[in-house]
Amino acid sequence: MVTPSTGLTQTLLDFIALPQADEAAFNALALRLFAHQVQHNAAYGRFCRARGRTPATVRRWQDIPAVPVNGFKELTLSCVPPEDCERVFTTSGTTREVKGRHFHPHLQVWNASMRRHFADSVGPLPVRMGILFPSEAEMPNSSLAHYLQIALQDHGLAGSRQLMNTEGLDSVALLALVQQAQTDGQPLALLGATYSFVHLMDALPEADLRLPAGSWLLDTGGFKGRSREIPMEAFYAQLSATFGVPRERCLNMYGMTELSSQFYDAGNARVPSVKRAPHWMRTRAVDPLTGQSVPDGQPGILVHTDLANLNSVTTILTEDVGIVTDGGFALLGRAEGAQAKGCSLAVEDFVQAASA
Amino acid sequence: MNTLQIGHLPGIDPAPAQWQDLPGLDLEPDHRLQVPALTPEQLQALCEHLRGPGRQALRTLPVREIIDAIDATIHVLLETGSEAHQTLLHWLPRVTGFSAEMVRINLNATLRTYRAPQLQRFVWEDFGSAELLDGFAPHVTGGLTHAEGAALLTHVWAGNVPGLPLWSLISGLLVKAGNLGKVSAGEPVLASVFARTLARLSPVLGDACAVLWWDRQDEATARTVWAASEAVIAFGGDEALAGLQRQMPPGVRFLPHGHKISFGAIGCEALSATRAPRMARLAAEDVVRHEQQGCYSPQVFYVERGAQTTPQEFAERLAAELQQLATRFPRPPPGLAEAAQIAQWRSRLEWSPEVTLIGQPEHGWSVALHAQPLALGPGPLHRCVQVVAIDALEALPQWLAPRRRHLQTAGLAVAPERLQPLALRLAECGVTRVCALGHMPLPAPGWHNDGRPSLLDLVNLVDLEASTEALSEGLAGYEV
Repeated sequence: MVTPSTGLTQTLLDFIALPQADEAAFNALALRLFAHQVQHNAAYGRFCRARGRTPATVRRWQDIPAVPVNGFKELTLSCVPPEDCERVFTTSGTTREVKGRHFHPHLQVWNASMRRHFADSVGPLPVRMGILFPSEAEMPNSSLAHYLQIALQDHGLAGSRQLMNTEGLDSVALLALVQQAQTDGQPLALLGATYSFVHLMDALPEADLRLPAGSWLLDTGGFKGRSREIPMEAFYAQLSATFGVPRERCLNMYGMTELSSQFYDAGNARVPSVKRAPHWMRTRAVDPLTGQSVPDGQPGILVHTDLANLNSVTTILTEDVGIVTDGGFALLGRAEGAQAKGCSLAVEDFVQAASA
Repeated sequence: MNTLQIGHLPGIDPAPAQWQDLPGLDLEPDHRLQVPALTPEQLQALCEHLRGPGRQALRTLPVREIIDAIDATIHVLLETGSEAHQTLLHWLPRVTGFSAEMVRINLNATLRTYRAPQLQRFVWEDFGSAELLDGFAPHVTGGLTHAEGAALLTHVWAGNVPGLPLWSLISGLLVKAGNLGKVSAGEPVLASVFARTLARLSPVLGDACAVLWWDRQDEATARTVWAASEAVIAFGGDEALAGLQRQMPPGVRFLPHGHKISFGAIGCEALSATRAPRMARLAAEDVVRHEQQGCYSPQVFYVERGAQTTPQEFAERLAAELQQLATRFPRPPPGLAEAAQIAQWRSRLEWSPEVTLIGQPEHGWSVALHAQPLALGPGPLHRCVQVVAIDALEALPQWLAPRRRHLQTAGLAVAPERLQPLALRLAECGVTRVCALGHMPLPAPGWHNDGRPSLLDLVNLVDLEASTEALSEGLAGYEV
């Protein structure tokens, strides 16, 4: 399909394929995408003009206006009409809640981004895999289901399989997969939502789940209110003890429906770990009111610029608090520390509304 | 001055040896607030002292003496030269984040509502006289009634508005209850300073109230305290209150004060070219005082159409007043999470075609003008307020109905002939307090917080029925 972005797609694919990219190259492509998005994405164009930031005035990628994530709920952030999009990924949430929507005319760039950074960041690959998340067929609008599908297809050895569906965990299949690994000594990788690992550990407290040497784990997404909340330190301690996998090999992927690329840490021997971006992504920590970067080492609200976000907006303002460090950022948590204002309904309710 | 010990623990001998830093506060590196760490035995002894000797001594005092003792304490706290006053001025801005100037004017306004004449009104409001509290008072139809305060009244305070703890603690003292207060880590200072000053001036009153802090996770302490309590008055969010309610042993009277939402309503008659500027000023003051963090603070102003000053012009005037107030009372810098909420709130409104957003993020206030009426809803506080155009204030009920359980104050600016009918309609919707625009964060002394009596809920009314008198007459020594 020919879209306004056909030329950019190839540029991006080439950019992602580079071994590295310097600041100037990143900046040039970011500004080109910015101009494209202001021109073709009507809602974003208005957003930028209201801030007096347009391709005519913006010279640095840091000055590209960041859209708060709830913009993906309230607005249609797409350069092509939504009906012409091959796929829409939606944020998780109950059916009652408004979901954020991320439109993708095609998934070429998304897939290339995922493949490159996944292969660079996790491993060893290939490996026998167990997926602790429903399949893409069951959840076609879940970017995580799509992500795990690619991981399984590209890198899963014989015996790899899905261990969950929308009904829940298949304990029998999980135990069989773990026992097979214990018997034949082949490493196993378990990948899935953070809360799925909690469910698994809660469901099988007595089982021997220790995995052979070389095994690794990848969790993502946090608890999202779907399991009990565990402090990060305790979570990784329990994960490591349950599966016999050193915490260096307990990896965490940070991803968002609103992005087209992911971040990885190098294990969670220490928390919070440092999450690293590929060369087509940059993260700043900002004062959310001014949008200005806070000094390095100070906590701020995270803003990600992801050049793989070809069709929506490159730059988003998250609800996550983090510290930008050399080579990545440390995630400190969600920005929702304002509930303690006793007598006023406002904050508590607003947080509910904002997370709806 | 840089380390302040929080707490007041009568009847614990020897004094607690262990003090710990109060967690969760963002103070300067050389400033510390410490709270006592009690052993289970000390906690038990404290509860027994409050229920027993502490309260017994208080019961022997007539209400008038209690009022005088509280009045003397308030006087010391108001006196600029006093150590207690200086302690408050030093610490309250640090723990609350409010500016020093804001703390000063609010503190004085709050403390003045607890002077002797106001406290007398407090008592008279609920009981008609102090006689009921001091002994048995007669009914016209026969028999007598006495108001007996809770043996142990426990207060769980919130930290949103400094001064809030005084209201319930003083109420507890007026009904001669034993009082145990749990301060919030968000504002632990005022209750502690008050209790210590009170104890110095009036040992009997000081002996009947304790102030301490324990961690929310510390279930053992909570259990001990609930078990000893006869009534628990608690302030906080719906979820926190529901959690507390589940912990209450059967028979404990639980008096929750949950999160509330308040609004202003401005009628046509207040929006003439000559009157509108003053209304905008009053509205801005209601927003700025207590930084919108009170249950009584306005989140929305409903502004009637059809006057000389349009809702749009009113919103612009309000914005100008907020800008002016910001120079004298700068907005305390919101925390990161709060700032993120403000940013999200602003962008959501900005995306709505019905809304005009006035003010830039860096201004320290935001006014959002809605051209169409909308249901009352909360905002992110920190001087973020919505102005909603409405054809007639009489149509308000439909926009308030969704918030019925959370409604509290309506700040009105309307002509006299509209006042009572409108107030009655608002009462029907669930509003529990109607006051003048400009007075929203300044409730009158003796107000019925959340529509409840201040003191009546804290006592048992003990009836001495006429039959007792009749029978007892027949049992007198002189009767043959």
